[in-house]
Order: sequence, then structure tokens, then C-alpha cells
Amino acid sequence: MEATEKYHFDVVRWFTIMAIVYLVVGTLVGVLIASQLAWPVLNFDIAELTFGRLRPLHTNAVIFAFGGCALMATAFYSVQRTCGVPLWSNKLAWFTFFLWNFIIVSAVITLPLGLTQGKEYAELEWPLDLLIAVAWLCYSFNFAMTIAKRKTSHIYVSNWFFLGMMVMITYLHVVNSLAIPVSLFKSYSVFSGVQDAMIQWWWGHNAVGYYLTAGFLGIMYYFVPKQANRPVFSYRLSVIHFWALMFGYVWLGAHHLQYTALPDWTGSLGAAVSLAMIIPSWGGAVNGMMTLSGAWDKLRTDYVLRFLVMSLAFYAMSTFEGPVMSSKTVNALSHYTDWTIGHVHSGALGWVVMVAAGALYHMVMRLWNTEMYSAKLVNLHFWLATIGAVIYIVAMWVSGIMQGLMWRDYDAFGTLSYTFAESVAAMHPYYVMRAVGGAIYWLGGAIMLFNVIMTIRMASATRGVGAPARA
Amino acid sequence: MSSLAEHFHTDWAALTLNDWIGLITTVVVFILMIVAYIYVFHPANRDYLETQKNIPLDDNRLETEDKR
Repeated sequence: MEATEKYHFDVVRWFTIMAIVYLVVGTLVGVLIASQLAWPVLNFDIAELTFGRLRPLHTNAVIFAFGGCALMATAFYSVQRTCGVPLWSNKLAWFTFFLWNFIIVSAVITLPLGLTQGKEYAELEWPLDLLIAVAWLCYSFNFAMTIAKRKTSHIYVSNWFFLGMMVMITYLHVVNSLAIPVSLFKSYSVFSGVQDAMIQWWWGHNAVGYYLTAGFLGIMYYFVPKQANRPVFSYRLSVIHFWALMFGYVWLGAHHLQYTALPDWTGSLGAAVSLAMIIPSWGGAVNGMMTLSGAWDKLRTDYVLRFLVMSLAFYAMSTFEGPVMSSKTVNALSHYTDWTIGHVHSGALGWVVMVAAGALYHMVMRLWNTEMYSAKLVNLHFWLATIGAVIYIVAMWVSGIMQGLMWRDYDAFGTLSYTFAESVAAMHPYYVMRAVGGAIYWLGGAIMLFNVIMTIRMASATRGVGAPARA
Repeated sequence: MSSLAEHFHTDWAALTLNDWIGLITTVVVFILMIVAYIYVFHPANRDYLETQKNIPLDDNRLETEDKR
């Protein structure tokens, strides 16, 4: 087969499989810690299983293990196909695969042991930070060099989004991780006080903006047209979407620090640019959805396309909700409450995982040159994911707004109406609801893993060999 | 001084090196965004840009899915 010699797809296959495995593992840890908040007895009085230890494991597993493998699989897959050339270095891609997975295994060991820098979404200690930089640079360099030797004259927009993510995450990771090591597993950030907070959220929000948004928009711009078999609605809009996102997102971090020691104007600036970002974000969402203009009937039969389109609906919703929450008036109510958790998960469960799941299903069928083992299970996964995400988000909206209102309520004498403990007790039904929503979502991921395993086995059996066929 | 002029008054002498770097970066980025908008929406570039949207669909010729 022509493509057998042309492209390096084995490494893409393994990134694809590991992404789905990490999705199941990462969301399972999420369900456990959500359950611990509802039923603290599930801590089992074991330090390594407590919420504080497992929460960073959950976030690292879903963001870097699942998200990273999904990004590497889709970027390596689409860059070869859109440039018409194999990866610049197959060996470097395999090195990236093994190093990335070694980092993930190291995180699974170190985080439950309490070895952490205590920086959100950047908890791993300094030796692992260095390895992340090496793996990320290998991934980025290989991707950029593949583009450099492309046969096409134009660089397709999905590659621009992937490249933008790679450049910005390198910059953000290195600066945010600057630390003074005092032992093999302990270091202290070079930043302190309010500067540390500012750098932390400059990283934190841009991890969302570039890694979980720009990178996954790269996925959207390749896989939505591909799955729909229609070109993107407007290429010019996609170019504006890219540059506005790249220039705009870096300003937003300060909106995480409203009403803190940070200068007031920085929070106002962060909120103002956040509101302005609704325009390119919705432009992109509309661009993706309008790709189906005149072909909406495909959604009746194409379950993979449902994932991709539903993800765009969640993307539009999250990118409206985020700016609203960043404004000072709303932030005064929403900050430090579960509303923020609901917002993050509407982006994570609704946008990131849904668009990635659509892309992963698409790739599994092409990479193993077969149909899915069960289309009905794909549809079941879609509905479990949608219903689970909605239950989770609604629970956190109600819980968060109730928290905010209880915390700020005071009586005629100026005394707080509720103790903090009373607000915690009031959250219990919503924490149960969140755990149920998360469990439903996890079940969808587990069904996806089963379906993909059976698809690969079926493809191998059809060919009478143990190894997967090359696409 | 009117209230508007007062609102936009800047003590240029008080700007530090970091302030100047930030200010210049901001202005340059703003100008580049305008350049990007002009380039993208200029009628002369429409056909060139819009034909690129077919790249993901054209890559089928390189794939085995055509051979199924």
C-alpha cells in the first residue's frame, strides 16, 4: 500500500490507544475524588488516597496523560496527511512517546506520595519538569521539521494551531517552572508573593488557552471537515480565529486573581480582554458548526460527527461563560465556589474530551482500516458523555451559586447568616449529583475503550495476523 | 483639563523599562492584528485563502481509505 511506505502511523496508533486508556484512568480518579467529597469515608484514612494527593493526579492524568497523548496522536497524524510527507523522524516520535509515558508513570508514583511543587497544573517536581521540557521540544521540533519538508505550498490552519500551542506551551512551561532545587524531590519557585501568583495564573489560564483550546482547535479544524467530508465553512475566518486567539489569550491570566493583592487594573485588563475573546472564540465555533451547513442530516447517522459538533456547542458555551465569570461583578459571587469547577468541566468534558473522542474514533477507523466494532456503542458513548457532562455541570452551577450566595449573606446586624460548615453541608446533594454525573461520563469512556479494543482485535483477526494493519 | 483628558493622562516620565517593553509590545501586536485583518479580508486574497480549505479533503489521495 502506498501509505504503508509513506507515513509513520505506528507511533500514532500507540498514542491513540494510550490516550483512551488514560481517559478511562484519569476520569476514574476524578470519580473517586468527587465521591470522597460527598462521602469522606472513601479516604480510607490512607494519606496517599486523600483528595489532596489524588486531585493533582486526576488533573495531570486527564490534562497531560490523556490530553497530551491525544494531541500528539492527532498532530502527528494530521501533519503527515496535510503535508503529504512522513514525520521528519520516526525515531524521535517514538522517543517522545516513551518519554511522555515515563513522565506519566512518574506522576502516578510521585503525586500520591505528596511530592509536589504545589503549583496548580504544574505540580510535578523539577526533575520531571525538565523531562517534560525535553519531551515537548522533541514533539514540537519533529512537528515543525515535518512541516518544513512538506510537499504542499500552504500550511493548513490546523497545523498553525498545533504550532501556536507548541511555541506558547514551551515558553509558559519553562518560565512557570523556574525553581531552585534543594534536593532530588524538592524545589522552590524563583517567584514569590504576588509575582508567584501572577506567573502561576499566567501559566494556569494559558495552559487552558493554548494547550486545551488552541491544540484542540487544531484537532477541530482537521477532523470536523474530514469527518463531515466537507471543507471548513470559511478559511479566512479560521485565519482570523488563529491570530486573535494567539494574541488575545496571553492577557487573561489576571482574571483568576480578582480582589487579591494583584494591582486592580491588571484584573480589569484581564476581564476586558476575556470579554473581547468571545468574538474569536464564537467565530471559531460558528466556523466549525457551519461546516455542516446543508448537511446537518449527517448527524442522524454519523455518531462520530455528533461528538465533534457537540464539542463545538460546549466550546461556545464555555467561552461565553468564562468571560462572564471573569468580570468583577460576577467574579465576586463565583470565585472560590463550585461554579468555577463546573465551568472548567464544561470545557474539559464537553469540549476537550468530546472533540478528542471524535478525532480518536475517526483515526481508529483509518489507522486500522476498518469500521468500528459497534456503531451502537459509539452512540451510547455519545449519550453517556453528553448526559454525564450536563449532570456534572448543572450540579456545580447550582452548588456554586448557592455557595456564593450563602457566603455573602448577612443579617440586619451585619453578621454572616451562615457558617462555612453550614455551606459545606448544603453542598452534599450536589456533590452526590456530581459524582453520579462523573460516573456516567466515565462509563462512556470505558465503553469507548472496550469498543476500540474490540475494533483492533476484529481488524487483526480479519487479516489473520496479530499486528494491526497499516493504513 | 477636561475630565476625559484627565482620565487618559499618562505620566510618561514615570514609566519603567518593563512598562515601555509592555507598551511597545502591545502597540506592535495591535498593529499586527490590523495587518492580519486587512490581509485576510482583502478581496484580492479571498480566492487564494479559500482554496486552502480543501487541503484535508485532498489528502485522501494519499490514504488507503480510497482503496477500501
